[in-house]
Amino acid sequence: MKVWALVLVAAFVIIGISAVDKNKFKTCSQSGFCKRLRPFKPEKSQYSLNLDSILVHGNVLSAEVVTIDAADEKRTVLWKYAFKLSALADGTFRVELDEADPLYPRYRTQLALDGEPKADGLKLISKDDGKVILVNTQGHKVIITSEPLKLEFLDQNGEVAVVLNENSQLLVEPLRARREKEEGTWSETFQSHHDSKPRGNEAVSLDVVFPDADHVYGIPEHTDGLALKTTTSGDPYRLYNLDVFEYILDSRMAIYGSVPVMYAHGPKRTVGVFWHNSAETWIDVVNYGEGNVVSSLVNLVTGGQKKRVDARFLSESGIVDMFVLMGSTPGDAFRQYTALTGTTPLPPKFSLGYHQCRWNYMDEADVRSVDENFDVHDIPMDSIWLDIEYTNKKMYFTWDVVKFPHPAEMVANLTAKGRKMVVIVDPHIKREPGYFLHEDATELGYYVKDRDGKDYEGWCWPGSSSYPDFFNPVVSRYYSDRYRFENFPGTSKDVHLWNDMNEPSVFNGPEVTMPKDCRHYKPPQDGLEGLAAYWEHRHVHNEYGLWNLRATNTGLLDRADGVYRPFLLTRAVFAGTQRYSAVWTGDNTAEWSFLAASVPMCLSLAIAGNSFCGSDVGGFFKYPEAELMTRWYQAAAFQPFFRAHSHIETKRREPWLYPAATTALIRDANRKRYALLDFWYTLFYEHTVDGLPVMRPLFQHYPDEPATYPIDDQYLLGDALLVKPVTTAGASSVEVYLPGDGPWYDVDTYVPHKGPRITQPVTISKIPVYQRGGTIVPRRERVRRSSALMADDPFTLVVALDANNSARGSLYIDDGETYEYKNNKYIYAKIEFGPDEMTYTLASEGAQYPTGAWLERVVVAGIRAAPRSARLQQDGRQTALQMTLHKGNDVLVLRKPAASMARPWTITFAY
Amino acid sequence: MVCKTWIDRFSSYFVIFCSVIIFAQSDVPRPRGVSLSKASLYLPTKDFTCFDGTATIPFSYVNDDYCDCFDGSDEPGTSACINGVFHCTNAGHRPQNLPSSRVNDGVCDCCDGTDEYANPTACTNICEELGKEARAEAQRVAELHKAGSQLRIDLIEKGNKKRNEMAEQLTQLEKDKSEAEKIKAEKELLKNDLEMKENEVLKVYREAEELEKQKKLDQEKETNLKESTEHFNRFDSNNDGELSIDEIKVVNVFDRNKDGQVDDDEVKMFLGGDEKVDKDAFLSTTWPILKPLLMMEQGMFKPEDAKTDTTETEAEENHEELDADFEGNEEDNSDLDLQEEHEEDETVSEQSKSYNDETQKIVDQASEARRQYTDAERTVREIESNIRNIKQNLEKDYGLEQEFASLDGDCFEYEDKEYVYKLCMFQKVTQKSKNGGMEVGLGNWGEWAGPENNKYSVMKYTNGIACWNGPSRTTTVNVNCDLETKITSVTEPFRCEYKMELSTPAACDDSSTSQEHTSHDEL
Repeated sequence: MKVWALVLVAAFVIIGISAVDKNKFKTCSQSGFCKRLRPFKPEKSQYSLNLDSILVHGNVLSAEVVTIDAADEKRTVLWKYAFKLSALADGTFRVELDEADPLYPRYRTQLALDGEPKADGLKLISKDDGKVILVNTQGHKVIITSEPLKLEFLDQNGEVAVVLNENSQLLVEPLRARREKEEGTWSETFQSHHDSKPRGNEAVSLDVVFPDADHVYGIPEHTDGLALKTTTSGDPYRLYNLDVFEYILDSRMAIYGSVPVMYAHGPKRTVGVFWHNSAETWIDVVNYGEGNVVSSLVNLVTGGQKKRVDARFLSESGIVDMFVLMGSTPGDAFRQYTALTGTTPLPPKFSLGYHQCRWNYMDEADVRSVDENFDVHDIPMDSIWLDIEYTNKKMYFTWDVVKFPHPAEMVANLTAKGRKMVVIVDPHIKREPGYFLHEDATELGYYVKDRDGKDYEGWCWPGSSSYPDFFNPVVSRYYSDRYRFENFPGTSKDVHLWNDMNEPSVFNGPEVTMPKDCRHYKPPQDGLEGLAAYWEHRHVHNEYGLWNLRATNTGLLDRADGVYRPFLLTRAVFAGTQRYSAVWTGDNTAEWSFLAASVPMCLSLAIAGNSFCGSDVGGFFKYPEAELMTRWYQAAAFQPFFRAHSHIETKRREPWLYPAATTALIRDANRKRYALLDFWYTLFYEHTVDGLPVMRPLFQHYPDEPATYPIDDQYLLGDALLVKPVTTAGASSVEVYLPGDGPWYDVDTYVPHKGPRITQPVTISKIPVYQRGGTIVPRRERVRRSSALMADDPFTLVVALDANNSARGSLYIDDGETYEYKNNKYIYAKIEFGPDEMTYTLASEGAQYPTGAWLERVVVAGIRAAPRSARLQQDGRQTALQMTLHKGNDVLVLRKPAASMARPWTITFAY
Repeated sequence: MVCKTWIDRFSSYFVIFCSVIIFAQSDVPRPRGVSLSKASLYLPTKDFTCFDGTATIPFSYVNDDYCDCFDGSDEPGTSACINGVFHCTNAGHRPQNLPSSRVNDGVCDCCDGTDEYANPTACTNICEELGKEARAEAQRVAELHKAGSQLRIDLIEKGNKKRNEMAEQLTQLEKDKSEAEKIKAEKELLKNDLEMKENEVLKVYREAEELEKQKKLDQEKETNLKESTEHFNRFDSNNDGELSIDEIKVVNVFDRNKDGQVDDDEVKMFLGGDEKVDKDAFLSTTWPILKPLLMMEQGMFKPEDAKTDTTETEAEENHEELDADFEGNEEDNSDLDLQEEHEEDETVSEQSKSYNDETQKIVDQASEARRQYTDAERTVREIESNIRNIKQNLEKDYGLEQEFASLDGDCFEYEDKEYVYKLCMFQKVTQKSKNGGMEVGLGNWGEWAGPENNKYSVMKYTNGIACWNGPSRTTTVNVNCDLETKITSVTEPFRCEYKMELSTPAACDDSSTSQEHTSHDEL
């Protein structure tokens, strides 16, 4: 939502700097373990696997790994480790390395995985010559070299696809008892912030080599593009959830989110790795195919091979826990990741509509007037949001009774037109005597503790604040219950939630977050006391927001007895966040470059599981002039999460506050969104089934076209639409890359285009979007005030023909707001078009939904031989259909078939 | 709101409709959603041609829930066309034109419920009720305007009177001005004449004075040289004509910081960085620094510190003056006057020296002439300033019939939880926090900014104090009819853009509402 301190806003604006204060955030050399271990690259790894200790049980191979002092001829064992290799379903492996007998248990990230991963079979093929060879049920082999320890993962063709510890950077720093006089080990200081580091050093590291890869992708959230770059000059990519005021573009700095999944792609295959760790993490990348990597080095390392990308994951604590995703297509790898960490559940339909937000709509009259103005100007809108000012002095779960005396009535005004409200609840709790939440949390010990075990106090919006320790199940339960309607008066099932500032943001903390030596709950266990009796914030930092979201999600489900689907938005992101929440790219700026950045940022998040992503339309800071605002609406109308938002100090910018021509363009953009709402809804449904991103990089569907690999200024929605937003001022044309054989039909004109490159002329009203030949896209042309009011409206099916005069598509329909679809109350239809007939068949057996929607129109683009007649058959009845052929662009329109979308139908053609 | 826009857009039909509304219930056959005025365009016996002429379709395609015309004219009664218009008669109340997207969307938009015909039980016809309420409200407004108009007439009278007074005043002032200018010219002549004489007689005194001054300076110089040489000789213990470091180090007076010894810094200071100084250098470099120290030792010289105290006090005083300037501009003039008087005092005091009787007499006469001239000049300026003010006021737009004129300068206050707002008509708007702090200007009188047909319904006050990191504050005052002049609400709908509701009889207009009233009567 906003920035870390209002005072700073002042300071920045006054001196005219509009970018991040880099001094607030650590570079690698200011982060103790990164400085210490980034150069760690021994010639030979000390780690070796004890072949005699190997045990294969079920899908798991376990063995002892030891470090050996290489300089010592007696081969003294330095330290012992427990090694595990697991074969998991769907071409996935897991490699774990922990100390065999650590001084205290090391932290294992708890919430990222969507339950225990499913097992696959694992067979030991051979064990000799210092090598162990295993295979899973899909034919992926793993070759373990015992000394030095190295793991090679082979694709189904027997080629090496992923190698671990090739560069000898495997490391698990053993925990040790406190010793004096070790600079940096037992304490660290950053600016005025002291980190007591009571456990000393406990970093982990692992390198990964991806042979044959052109690029690596993933590890959001950063601002430097979809394909990751070589990091040898400058800092590594950093993953540490931070509230970065006025973040900058093209940077590897950490921002709000951290999803440590990386994909490597080349013509041969796509693979991925998921570094299962919630501590501060730095990732180095070397792409030997990049021009700027010294060529002699390329030859030395790759043995003459042209393509190879190396990556190295380095985390401050935890264990080595690496999932290897064997692909082999991009879609396979993306699915394998969501199989581990979960998919985004089917969102309530309204949340795919347009959201109107601002910090802040100041009172009920303001809300009412914004709501009414959308109708006056006939712009569809599904929700109005309230930022922090609705609360009583920033005490969440309360209302400012002067500005918002009748919240229920206010919400009822919205729901009368099918609209919803979304309100913010941040995790920080105001330390205010008499505030029930603070009093309960203090009395019951629900707050995160500082290094001395006292309630940690930080500074946030309300002033002095503390932070619930969601890691304690009792605290999470308590927090969830705050969302019950009786505990949060004025809310109803139509009031949805926004958890902001959950990195967590602490204005006066180190790097604007919580000190690493704060203490979190750990379930009590016999024999564990002192340092072993709690987790430090350093272990769990990137996971904190996820715990916050899980508690909120539980609360939202419970308050409506599990009947209604909640909507939740978050700023902090971690692996698994997608199971609970949509995400947005935080506090961006009203500049063209930030509009452009919204595409790669959301693409990165999408392939890392977070399909439900968007950026603040118009930009949070500063004021977008009419052209930028227009282009931003046009772009965001084709991004998954579509919300306008702005800073309290900026000029108001609701669509009607611009010149009438701009308002009209915004209306058009929103109408385009609403016409495609069922297409979006179907994509999100399919995501819950197949785990594929909704918003997709081009290479996902065109993995053999190297030209698509670096493209991140255009993208696909499903496999049907290609979107190229206009992100520059004064554009009169844009260059579009159209992959594959095409044709690609301009959705405005149905004019077919062939790739690979075209120059698309654009006016201020043009949004370059193309429908792939061979697809069918469902539309509803009757755009109303809100999505709910369109529930029974008829469909137009747009059929874009391929070279064989055929096309296929799908359509998902349900009530849009409950979980009844889990009781088979839905329609999932497959739609197929061929020269002889067009069919609409229900693809899910036993599933039904009594929708009032019907088929208004079929538009067939690219028709070469028009049929003479068409007949609709449904429920045993036949109807002759009227057709119109538009010769100019080969479009055939079937007029009003009027078939019910609740039941199958067929249209047959005669020539 | 919605309906209102559409009514606005189709106001022409609205008027037609109102005139024939009595027949609304009659059975003029027309498709659903078509207004009477357009009924003739939909003839069941003929094919239908889209209003834009782009297509002709069978009449059975009209309102068949499929959009055939680009302009939406074939589907007045369904939601099929995105740009269509649905007309509801709303018998008993005002008719409405809705976008087609509101037809059968589950929300009752027409008071007669005809927009939701797909679900006949969804909406009840509440037009009678609403119409009754609307008529009652119209009645109330009409009565208010009627009553208010009486008060308005008083205001107009007062306003005209005020303006006439001002006009009279202006004429008088113009007269006064020429009179005063005449006096001023006379006094100037007199003054110049006397000053010339004064100059003449004082010339002798001035020359003598100058001579005295020079003499004093020469004397001082000589004394200084003498003193300096004396001291030099005293410090030059080896009499070599140069002062060396060693020679200086034994002399107490060079120990500036009084730490019991003459250290290098002190030496450097006195010798200007050199090892030694000769007599000339001593005179130019060392002596000027040394002399005050010697005098201080003898208690003849006030140290610098004492002086700084006074400057600080002065600074504070200046500061206060600045504050005063900030608070109110009206005091500016009086400040100026005060300053002038100061100056005058000074000239007088400067000249209160002793001259011989003859001279003194001339000087006194000249002083008196100067005083009289200044007075005359001030009188002219005052009159001019008054003229300017009155002219400004006379140029101000006080409404069609000067109904706002008498309110000029009247101030009205409004309190909310945090602030006290003050509107001084045709002057400025301010805001003051109840927790104290400075008054913040929310705008100075700018202009009338109502719509063309109702210019005097909105006042704009602009150029208030600039918002931190934003534009300067402005206030829009909506002026409504009521029997008493008062502020009824203040809001800040946009940052730094304030909105005030002012009610006043000046805004009551019997004539405008009477029209509206008759149209309601027809309903």
